[in-house]
Amino acid sequence: MASSAISATPTPSFIANQKDLGRFGFSSTSQFSIHKCKKSAIPMKIMSVMTPQQSDRRPATTGSVKTALTLTEKILARASEKPQLSPGENVWVNVDILMTHDVCGPGSIGIFKKEFGENAKVWDREKLVIIPDHYIFTSDERANRNVDILRDFCTEQNIKYFYDIKDLSNFKVNPDYKGVCHIALAQEGHCRPGEVLLGTDSHTCTAGAFGQFATGIGNTDAGFVLGAGKLLLKVCSCSCSCSFFFFFFFLFCYSETGILSCRDPRVPPTLRFVMDGEMPDYLLAKDLILQIIGEISVSGATYKAMEFTGTTVESLTMEERMTLCNMVVEAGGKNGVVPADSTTFKYLEDKTSIGYEPVYSDAKASFLSEYRFDVSKLEPLVAKPHSPDNRALARECKDVKIDRVYIGSCTGGKTEDFLAAAKVFLASGKKVKVPTFLVPATQKVWMDVYALPVPGSGGKTCSQIFEEAGCDTPASPSCGACLGGPKDTYARMNEPMAKLWTNERWSMITYNTDSRLLKSYLPFFMINVVNDNYGYLICLLSILINSSDALALQVCVSTTNRNFPGRMGHREGQIYLASPYTAAASALTGYVTDPREFLQ
Amino acid sequence: MAAASISLSHNSILTPPPIPKTKTFLGVLPNSIKFPVTTSRAAAAAITSSRAISVVPRATSVDSGSTSEAGSTFHGLCYVVGDNIDTDQIIPAEYLTLVPSKPDEYEKLGSYALIGLPANYTTRFIDLNEMKTKYKIVIAGENFGCGSSREHAPVALGASGVATVVAESYARIFFRNSVATGEIYPLESEGRLCDECNTGDVVTIEMDESRLINHTTGKEYKLKPIGDAGPVIQAGGIFAYARSTGMIPAQN
Repeated sequence: MASSAISATPTPSFIANQKDLGRFGFSSTSQFSIHKCKKSAIPMKIMSVMTPQQSDRRPATTGSVKTALTLTEKILARASEKPQLSPGENVWVNVDILMTHDVCGPGSIGIFKKEFGENAKVWDREKLVIIPDHYIFTSDERANRNVDILRDFCTEQNIKYFYDIKDLSNFKVNPDYKGVCHIALAQEGHCRPGEVLLGTDSHTCTAGAFGQFATGIGNTDAGFVLGAGKLLLKVCSCSCSCSFFFFFFFLFCYSETGILSCRDPRVPPTLRFVMDGEMPDYLLAKDLILQIIGEISVSGATYKAMEFTGTTVESLTMEERMTLCNMVVEAGGKNGVVPADSTTFKYLEDKTSIGYEPVYSDAKASFLSEYRFDVSKLEPLVAKPHSPDNRALARECKDVKIDRVYIGSCTGGKTEDFLAAAKVFLASGKKVKVPTFLVPATQKVWMDVYALPVPGSGGKTCSQIFEEAGCDTPASPSCGACLGGPKDTYARMNEPMAKLWTNERWSMITYNTDSRLLKSYLPFFMINVVNDNYGYLICLLSILINSSDALALQVCVSTTNRNFPGRMGHREGQIYLASPYTAAASALTGYVTDPREFLQ
Repeated sequence: MAAASISLSHNSILTPPPIPKTKTFLGVLPNSIKFPVTTSRAAAAAITSSRAISVVPRATSVDSGSTSEAGSTFHGLCYVVGDNIDTDQIIPAEYLTLVPSKPDEYEKLGSYALIGLPANYTTRFIDLNEMKTKYKIVIAGENFGCGSSREHAPVALGASGVATVVAESYARIFFRNSVATGEIYPLESEGRLCDECNTGDVVTIEMDESRLINHTTGKEYKLKPIGDAGPVIQAGGIFAYARSTGMIPAQN
C-alpha cells in the first residue's frame, strides 16, 4: 500500500481547544491520563476526578471495576454515564453523531415530524450529519426530490453539517458536496474514538475503525434519535454482556438476545479476531474480511460485536481498517471495532478539534470466541455469487470470464483502493480487457486520484495510469452502482449483454429485454435490434458462433461489499467481490485473476 | 386515561406490558424530549374499536377479514423463499427513492415487494398490475432480511399485504425494523419450514399457541413465541406502543 507507513510519533493531539474540552466534561483529563486509560478499565466518569495512576495496575486490583469489559461495552457504559453496566439494566445512551443520507433521511425526517410535531427541533444541530450520496447523478425526479427534502430540513433546522449538492452537472462546483457518507464522515472528522455514531445505513459500522461504537439503524429509530438524541440500551442479563436495542427495544430482549446470547449466561457477545503476521504485499484488508466472513458466514456475527486486533491490524492504515469494519454487517454483526492507536490519532490530527478519549478492552474481558489468523499464509480471495460468504481463492476462479470491473463504494472506493489498483496497472504495463469503471467515494478521493503521485511511477497520478490502461474516466463521487440505484446510474448492471470481441477492442450492445424473453422469443429479439444494423450484425454473428455466449449474463469483479442477486442492478448479474488488487488484475486479463500474476 | 385502558384490552391475551419498567422508564426519559399533545392515530383508532386502521397501514390492518380480533391468528396463502433473502431482493435499491412516510409512496413500495427475487422464483409474489400480494404469510429460511438497514424492506412487505414472516432466523436490523415499524410479525420457526411448505399452501398461524398449521399438507409446526415484541407490533410500532402504555405522553 502506498501510504501504509505508520507514524512513529506517539503524541496525538487529542484536545485541540479548551472550549470543546469543557463541553465534554472531562477537564482534568490530560494526555497522560488518556494514555493511561489504555491499561486501565476505569470508566470515564470516575477517571475525570481522580489523579492519574502511577502504575499499571490491573483493573481488578483498583477496586473500582468489578467486571472486565470489552471495548464496545466500555463505550456504551460511558455513553450512558454509568460507571459500569449492570446486567439486565436499561440505560439511555447519548448519541454523539447521527448520520443520515438521501435514501433514508426523508423517511426519518417524516417520522420525526409525525411523532415530535411539525415544529419540533432536532436535539442538537451540530450532532446531526446529513450526507446526500446514494442517488445523486440521476435524472430520477423522486431521487432529486429527496435531496431537496434534506436541504429544506437542514435549512429549517439550521443543521451545521449538511454536505449539499445543487449543480448535478458538475460535482466540482459544489464545494460542500462530499460523496459516500461513511468515507466522508471519516474525512470530515466526524469519527472519533470512544464515541457513539449511529447512521441510517448498514455500513455505518465502517467508523468502528476509529475505535468507536458505530452501527446502522432504521428510519423509525433515527426518527427517535432526531428528537431525543438518545437511545435506550438493554444490558443483557448475561454477565457483562451488553446486547442493546434502540429506544424501547428492551422490550424485545426475549426475542432478540434471549436466544442468541443468553444460552450461556457467562459469555459476552463479542467475537475477537486476532490477525498476526506480516501482511504479504499482494493482500489488502478486503482479503482479510472476506476470509473472516467466509469463516463465520453471513449470519455468523448476528447480534454480536466484532473486534479486530493483532499485529497485522496494528500495521493497517486507517482506510484499510475501515475496509475491515465496513463489511462487519456482511457477517450480520452489529458493530466492528479496531482499538485506536497512534495511526488513529495521527489520522485525526488535522480533522477534528473535538476532544475524545479512546477506550480499550480489558485484558480480562471475555469474548464469545476468538479467531486467530496467520495473515502471512493467506492468499487473495473473492466472494463468488451470490453471497459475501461464498469464499474462494482468486486463483481457483481463473477460468471465470468477466465482463466488467467496478472499483468504488464505501468498501473499495477510497484513495488507497485506487492507489492499489494503479499499482497493479503500473506493474503490468498492459491495457484492460474489459470495461473498468472507477467511482471515487468522495470528492477528496477524486482529487487524490487526479493529484497524488503513485509510488514508483515517476510521478504519475492514478488518473494517468488508469487512462493509459484504458479504464473509464473516474466518475463523479457517489455510491454509484454498488447498490444498483436508479436505471441511469453510472456503471449499473442493467440488462444481460450480448457481446463481440474484435481484436483488442470490446463492443457491447445492451438490449432492453429480459434474458428469459431473449431465449423464448428469439424472433422478437431480432426485430428488437434490427434498428441498429451494427448491433444486429454483432448479435447475429455471436448467436451463430455460440448462442449461449450471446445470451451470457454479466459477470462483474467488484471492490464493493455485497453480491446478493440484483445488488448492482440486474438480478441475474454475477458479482465477484474482491480487493482492488484482484479487481485490477482481473480487468487486465478479462478473467478473475490472482494479483500475484502482476505483483510478483 | 383512554390510552391506558385500551392498552389493557389490547394485551389481555398477549404478554402484559412491563408496567413497573414503564415507571422507571418515564423517570429516565430525558427532559429534552418534547412530544406534541395530540391524539395518536393508533390510539384514536383503538378508541373507536375499529380494527381497520386505514390511515396507518400496519400488519394488523391489512388482514381485515381473516385475522381474529386480537391479531393472534393469521390465515392465508404462503409464499416460500430460501436462505439469506437480503433487503435488495425484498425491495431493490432502485425503488428506495420512495419515501415510506408518504402514504401514496408507501402503497407503491408495497407493489414492489420481493420483486428482486431471482428468476428461479417462477411464481410472482405480486401479480402483474396488482398493488397487493395474495400471500399473507412469507415462509423463509435462515438470515431473512440481511444486508442493508433500509426500513423500506419490512415496510414494503407490510404495505404489500403481508402480515407475518416465518423464518428460521433473521438479520438483526431487519428484525428490529419490523418491530419498530409494526409492519409485520417476524416469527421464528423451530425447524426449517421453507423445506416443508410450498408456495400456495394454505396455512394458519396461531400466535397464542405458537403454532403453524399447513392445511395443504395437513402438518403442524411449532413456532418460537414472539414474546414482548408482540404487543409492540400489535400497537403499530414503538411510538404507538409507547403512547398506548403511557411510556411517552399520548397525543391528543
